[in-house]
Amino acid sequence: MLEFDAISKSFAHVRVLRDVSFAVRPGRTLGLVGENGAGKSTLMNILGGNVPPDSGRMRLQGQPYAPRGPLEAARRGIAFIHQELNLFPNLSIEENLFLTAFPRVGALPIIHRRALRERAAALLEQVGLNQPPGTAVERLPAGERQLVEIAKALSLEARLIIFDEPTTSLSAPEAGRLFGLMERLRQRGLSMIYISHTLADVLRLSDDIVVLRDGEVAGAGPREAFSVERLISLMVGRHLSQLYPARKPAERSAGPGAAPPVRLEVRGVTQPGVVRDIRFALRRGEVLGLAGLMGAGRSELARILFGLDPCARGQILLDGRPIQRESPRRRIRRGLAFLTEDRRDEGLCLEASVSDNIALVSLERHARPPLGLLDFDRLRRAVSGVRAAVRLTPTAREEAPVKTLSGGNQQKVVLAKWLLAMADPGVLILDEPTRGIDVGARHDLYQLILEAADRGAGVLAISSELEELLGICDRILVMSRGEIKDELTQPLFDRERILRAALAGGPAAAPLP
Amino acid sequence: MKHASISALACLLAAAWLAGCGRSDAPAPAPPPAAGSAGPALTIGVSFETLQTGFWVASLDAFKAELGRRNLKMIQAIADGDANRQIEQVKNFITRKVDGIVMVPKDAKACLPVIKAANAAHIPIVLFNRPPDKSDAKSTAVVADNFALTKETVTYMIGEARKTGRKHKAMVLIGDLGDINAIGRRDGFEAAVREAPETIEVVARVPTEWNQEKAQAGVVNALQAHPDLSFIFTSSDFLFPSIVSALTGAGKYKKVGEPGHVLLGGFDGDATAWQMLADGYLDATGVQDVYFEVEACVNAILDARAGKPVPEIVKDPGFVIHQGNLKEKSARMWGAKK
Amino acid sequence: MTAAATTHPQPEAASLPVRLLRSEHLVLLLSALYFLALAPFTPGFASVGNLGNLLSTLLPLFVAAMGQTVVLIVGGIDLSATSIIALCSITGAAVASGDQGWLAGSPLAVPAALAAMLAVGGLVGLFNGLAITRFRMPPFIVTLTTMMFFSGLAIWLTRSRNIGQLPAAFNALGGKTWLTLLLCLPLAAGAHFMLSRSVWGRWLYATGHNPRAALVSGVPVAGVVVSAYVVAGLLAAVAAVLYTGQAESGSPVLAQRLLLDIVGATVIGGASLFGGRGRILWTLCGVVFLKLIDNSLNLLDLSHFTIMMVKGGVILLAAMLDALRRRLG
Repeated sequence: MLEFDAISKSFAHVRVLRDVSFAVRPGRTLGLVGENGAGKSTLMNILGGNVPPDSGRMRLQGQPYAPRGPLEAARRGIAFIHQELNLFPNLSIEENLFLTAFPRVGALPIIHRRALRERAAALLEQVGLNQPPGTAVERLPAGERQLVEIAKALSLEARLIIFDEPTTSLSAPEAGRLFGLMERLRQRGLSMIYISHTLADVLRLSDDIVVLRDGEVAGAGPREAFSVERLISLMVGRHLSQLYPARKPAERSAGPGAAPPVRLEVRGVTQPGVVRDIRFALRRGEVLGLAGLMGAGRSELARILFGLDPCARGQILLDGRPIQRESPRRRIRRGLAFLTEDRRDEGLCLEASVSDNIALVSLERHARPPLGLLDFDRLRRAVSGVRAAVRLTPTAREEAPVKTLSGGNQQKVVLAKWLLAMADPGVLILDEPTRGIDVGARHDLYQLILEAADRGAGVLAISSELEELLGICDRILVMSRGEIKDELTQPLFDRERILRAALAGGPAAAPLP
Repeated sequence: MKHASISALACLLAAAWLAGCGRSDAPAPAPPPAAGSAGPALTIGVSFETLQTGFWVASLDAFKAELGRRNLKMIQAIADGDANRQIEQVKNFITRKVDGIVMVPKDAKACLPVIKAANAAHIPIVLFNRPPDKSDAKSTAVVADNFALTKETVTYMIGEARKTGRKHKAMVLIGDLGDINAIGRRDGFEAAVREAPETIEVVARVPTEWNQEKAQAGVVNALQAHPDLSFIFTSSDFLFPSIVSALTGAGKYKKVGEPGHVLLGGFDGDATAWQMLADGYLDATGVQDVYFEVEACVNAILDARAGKPVPEIVKDPGFVIHQGNLKEKSARMWGAKK
Repeated sequence: MTAAATTHPQPEAASLPVRLLRSEHLVLLLSALYFLALAPFTPGFASVGNLGNLLSTLLPLFVAAMGQTVVLIVGGIDLSATSIIALCSITGAAVASGDQGWLAGSPLAVPAALAAMLAVGGLVGLFNGLAITRFRMPPFIVTLTTMMFFSGLAIWLTRSRNIGQLPAAFNALGGKTWLTLLLCLPLAAGAHFMLSRSVWGRWLYATGHNPRAALVSGVPVAGVVVSAYVVAGLLAAVAAVLYTGQAESGSPVLAQRLLLDIVGATVIGGASLFGGRGRILWTLCGVVFLKLIDNSLNLLDLSHFTIMMVKGGVILLAAMLDALRRRLG
């Protein structure tokens, strides 16, 4: 179907791809994995005609293939399904589907409405989307938008569909539906390339797997030849037998007699339609996980605890003091930190420099009254101290804009910001701390989180990856439909029990009452 | 880098173009002495507040012609309606040591600092068409005699009105009363109609603040309130388009002599007025004699340089142009098509 | 990621034009280049007298543009700057005028006038800031309407008439260049230090970059935004003092045409209309550049319409260079 033959590409003397060769066979799904920066995106950009390769050739269905632009790639039957979708939210499903080729009334420049609707309905049925074609795309949930995108690919008679991290914004049932559709498409003889950081999904969906590392093929073969462990070691190039760092057992199983003090206590926090009667206590040195499906109310709870969203009833106590009436600013002063799930929109000033981002929360502590002029020497020392502590990549210059860093390093900057702000280890709320971050950086982040806990912080961690919570938490609360349904304590973690509790009360994709 | 070199090229081109402009248009650093005259040609700085109406454009052209005729060099600056920018521009004239300054001030007060600066530099300064506020700063102002000329125009119109043998209801469009010229014209109108109570009854006084839309709304309202209105005077010709559109809407825009003709009169003598006169719709307008005023400005500067006494105010009597003297006078009407 | 993959392109390798383009002093360089290129052809351009003139007209614009810089950094825009200048101008004149002022002849007239002007500027700024933060209205709309309202108010209050006969001490503030300079230097230095070295300055930039991230990071975002508009209002009041002194009269249409100069100079200097970027020194360069063009075209004695076209072209060229620089940077 598609062959890459010795593709190489450099950007400004940096080799991004080196002699990459592999083939996608007709009617089969190829899983493409690799750390961020391994060259996956560049390879797909070459395939899509966005950048030309420096050397090497591609063949598509036996014919030489050298696209001069995205349009030619689409004409040759290649379609991309991205994380950020390329739909016009203000237009309807059918308009999105046929934007480039509206059925017309004869030769007139008038859209043939009935033909449009019928063809759209047929396509939607193929992808299993049960919505009237006239619905505006902005009214669809993320998962259904993706189905529209796939329907669009089918309408263009794509022969090869590339799925680039398609599940990041989907809930579990939505992802399940997508996987079902991919299976059906495979049976119809379509070829697919599936790119994801979620290795279990890759193993489940692919017929063949290619691992990229530093721009080279590090491993390739049929699915049966791989396991998650082997994939990770191929991606990282070293044997990462333990993704999750071990903690000293003494601290994990503090006996009931010597219970450390409570840092954060939540008493009956309720916000109608969002969360109901949330109660828990987070102790010094503890890592507490919040498991659940998307939409279960975990992120919303985190925002309430930090004071970004209102809370109708209940008490929040930080080190014994009620804080539920205070602004986020005051809560930060009392030692609360919040790493949001939306790193780009809420975590960082992307255009600002690394050091400015790290310093942002701690400015006032490094200023002299009365004008608040900054003590630059002291601030710079503090920033470089914490920068070293989070093991930020040495190539990231202090004055470089944060947007030039990789996702993992960006997240380290956010973490550094909060570590610097909390002179005494306070309470860290982490919402999806490793989303979109490669394996190597994850390991570093876990270690930093556990180190903070060891110094006396309380950590509340939210993650959609159960593995992650199982790997780093001392205790896990399971939320569903705005309530805490279950509580499990290490070492009695039970995957099945957690899933059952998370699914209790119906699918999470359904809107909350 | 390709882009960088392209932009560098663009830079060079732009610089070269500007430099070229400089060479062709700017006065050469050392102008050659004018043939036959004793010294180098004098340079006169001309600063206009705005070029937004035809009157100012025609005036600037008249200055160009007059100064050229007398072998004087002219440099110009337009302040775009900003008093501070005008101050800056006239100060530029002073630092360039011009030999005389003509200025249409943005307003009567903000021009005082520059007049003082010109006094201090011993450069004669003449204000064209707008007098300054009273102060100890010394300047000459050449202004139209708004009161007399308006009175003359309106008196001519009243004469025409008498010929109809009936009494006329009249409307007057008043200018921005912050403008001393507008006040003079209003007073001239009132003085003329006061002398003919048996012929004219003023039923509408429309404040326009020199604004077309306000004028149009005012005229439309007045025509509704007084459908028998038959005498209109506007304090400036540039408001005629509003009047004509309102009259046309009411079906009352008729030529002079036709039944139902509304007597029309104005002030300024712009191109619209000239066209209306030529087409036979307009009865009369008071023309500011731009050519006289321009000449008087230049004379005042030259006299001051020669040490002769110059008056503080030079009045332009202007003239009334009407259907009767159109051919004979249109040569001196600045708005007339030549 | 390998070490090689993150190596940044070496700046030493860039060619000279590229390096110049990337320089943050680009506008200053352009100004110098422009000055040198035109000085030989432009009579009196480089004379001491002309440079003095240039300075005296540049300073009030600089003060107003400083206020605009602060607002642009925080991600807003202040279209009401010119109406604040006009309103302050007539306020000060109404207090201090010798023939009709409330405090005519009193020794307190000048300080009272200055205090009243600052109060008016600060209050309009406060109104802008509160409307934007409390009601979450876009700054463009808020300041557009305050511009219309307050310039209308200024004309209505004065019946469109100017107020003259101001005390000499008041006029000197804007009319005597050395005094203006003495006033502006500490103001600019103070603003520069507050922006680059104070917590407040950092908060401004962070809020401009990303208000949501700033809020999560404990920045009092609403207070920062309001303070930016108040500061802009106060600086507009100072600009009004200078402009009024220059014209020796308070005018309700003072600076009415200056909005584009104020915003234009700030943006040419390098402040971003999208927030988070801007410096006092950059703005100074932008003001110098704009005024140089103005002044030189004036001296070249081009026709009014040619001047406008050339000015537009030169500003467009500067904007293109800036866009190019961003792409390279």
